[in-house]
Amino acid sequence: MKTGLMKKRFTRFVQYLLLTIGALGVVFPILYAIGLSLMSAGEASSYPPHMIPHHLQFTAFPAAMETAPLGRFMLNSFVVSLIVTVAQLITASLAAYAFAFLEFPLKKILFLLFLSTMMIPGESTIIPNYLTMRSLGWIDTFRGLTVPFMATAFGTFLLRQYFLTLPKELFDAARIDGCGRFRFLWSIVLPMARPALGTLGVYAFITTWNQYLWPLLMTNSTSMRTVQIGIGMLQFQDATTWNVVMAGVVIILLPSLLTIVLGQKQLVKGLTTGAVKG
Amino acid sequence: MIMLFSKRISKRMFPKFLVALLVLALLVTGCGTAANDTSKPSAAGPVTVTFWHSMGGQPAKTLTAMVEKFNGSHSDIQIKLVYQGSYDDAFNKLKASPDQGPDLFQVYDIGTRYMIDAGLAAPMQDFIDRDKFDMSPIEPHVVNYYKVGDKLYSMPFNSSMPVLYYNKDLFKAAGLDPAKAPSTFAEVEADAKALTKKVGDKTVYGFSQAIYGWFFEQYMARDGALYANNGNGRDAAATEALVNSPAGVEILTWWKKLIDEGYATNLGRKTADTQNAFGAQQIAMTIDSSGILPNLTTAAAGKFEIGIAPLPRGNNEVNSGPIIGGGSLWILKNKPKAQQEAAWKVIKWFLEPAQVATWTVGTGYLPINKAAVDQEAYKDFIKKYPSYQAAIDQLHNTPENRVTQGARIGVFTQARATIENAIEQVVLNKATPKAALDDAAKKITDSIKEYNQTMGVK
Repeated sequence: MKTGLMKKRFTRFVQYLLLTIGALGVVFPILYAIGLSLMSAGEASSYPPHMIPHHLQFTAFPAAMETAPLGRFMLNSFVVSLIVTVAQLITASLAAYAFAFLEFPLKKILFLLFLSTMMIPGESTIIPNYLTMRSLGWIDTFRGLTVPFMATAFGTFLLRQYFLTLPKELFDAARIDGCGRFRFLWSIVLPMARPALGTLGVYAFITTWNQYLWPLLMTNSTSMRTVQIGIGMLQFQDATTWNVVMAGVVIILLPSLLTIVLGQKQLVKGLTTGAVKG
Repeated sequence: MIMLFSKRISKRMFPKFLVALLVLALLVTGCGTAANDTSKPSAAGPVTVTFWHSMGGQPAKTLTAMVEKFNGSHSDIQIKLVYQGSYDDAFNKLKASPDQGPDLFQVYDIGTRYMIDAGLAAPMQDFIDRDKFDMSPIEPHVVNYYKVGDKLYSMPFNSSMPVLYYNKDLFKAAGLDPAKAPSTFAEVEADAKALTKKVGDKTVYGFSQAIYGWFFEQYMARDGALYANNGNGRDAAATEALVNSPAGVEILTWWKKLIDEGYATNLGRKTADTQNAFGAQQIAMTIDSSGILPNLTTAAAGKFEIGIAPLPRGNNEVNSGPIIGGGSLWILKNKPKAQQEAAWKVIKWFLEPAQVATWTVGTGYLPINKAAVDQEAYKDFIKKYPSYQAAIDQLHNTPENRVTQGARIGVFTQARATIENAIEQVVLNKATPKAALDDAAKKITDSIKEYNQTMGVK
């Protein structure tokens, strides 16, 4: 009896130990970034590298804010990411609904066509997209930053797969009760698909937040720039002061972290519901 | 898709569908209006000069402060400073749509050929000749780099040269004379051997240099070797790369030998990594741009003293020197006359001794106006970093010829990447120096030919 308990405790201990090590491995880059941001330039380049600053210094943060207007950039990134996220959720759920519940000619082929766009590397479409935006006169506007990303093959695929796991009987029952398609999507499908929507939302937000090349191409004024360009402004190819760069990284990391913390409930729910249902 | 979809939507639902679309459209357009304000100059107000640059970190701060000073003291011209990412990013952005470009553009050294061939530049020489602007105070070696034929197309701005940085304290500890830095490959090897020490389980290496194509170009020039045919592409357009010449092979053989013998370590392609290692006293000598002295000094503060020496040469004695690197300012041809004239005024202002001194002090780039050294700010700077004089001396001691003028090819970005691959192959023992460089030369020659064909260069 007692040995059984001991054994159980031991297993538990090992499990938590492994989990802790794994967790540390995952958060290490963030911890190291925070550590570096609190060091002086000299300490940041010392060897062996210090993980924890020996002399706390907060000078890197004002230095980063001074080199690049990060506040304005964060606001821009936030607006852009939010618009793209909401738009992707709308377009992807509509398209996924069609692919999952509706019957129409060429459905399979259209879906394959949709998926095949995922195979085109984003880099190859950047210049054509840019030229289109230019001819529309959308350079240096939020439109130019958001519209090209409002439809997503990946999101459609993700939501369609999720919608397919919902029992078809729901659809039939709803129809029999006189529920229209939009009502069905809005009141039945979307609430049940919250985990998948949460996943897509977090993914869309962070992907947009991390964009670099597109905003750099699309914008010409400092007031329209986004955060990753701000990080670029802190670096310099001939010489980089890491404590300042990391201070900038820590500042712009906050919204992404917040998104994950807020979206986590949905994400975890998504994982577990999926797991139970098989 | 939407057509198909809507056909099947029941009539009752259709309005809701429209509402959803409308909401989407509003989301899109509602936020788009705030932008589009600045770039167009109003007829009455000051002329706005849009200035694209690629300076980050400390140089960006210095540049911003200088521009603020300009804007504060000029009512007729206002500079709109825009950071456009790295040199490559900015350059590619201009390539994608030249008509959306700036009035004043900072381009890196190796973008010169392309800017001219693409017909994007309003030649600087035209402005100089018209105004009889006196170019004599500007460092000739710097100007010659940017000259094509006898014509100056862009104005030098941030200029640097590679130098040897060494740790004087480690020199003393190893019994070497800290006043005498190595000046040849053989001396670097001997000193690196003396400097390499095992301390506990970690090794302090005598030498390390980043795998950076620019260094290879510089060693070639220092050894008096051409990088491309037709006088480095300056007598006529280059048609062939000469990187596999004996000088090139000697450079890579030496590079590899130092690493094989364990006197140097390979820290990869990023110069930031060798700089950090140097600052942390993990390596005693390194090659880098003269522009990073202030950064290195910060890292070394309170730990050791930094020495600067000219770039070491190969084992054949030859009177030559390194090439100018960095960037220059271009006035774009497709801009209105008023913008061009304003940009020219801005350039002249940046060339004034006071500004050049501020720039050097704030960034470590070479003072390209000879009169800048008489400025108080510069005098204080050289008092603080006396070893910086070695970089200036190197600039003055370099003879002017096709080799030290540097190569002029349109595909330099690719060439540099090709050379970096070759160095990596050699260092990692995947190819001999000769084989790697033969291969690189062939690749670069091919891309030069392709470039000449597509751009119609004869």
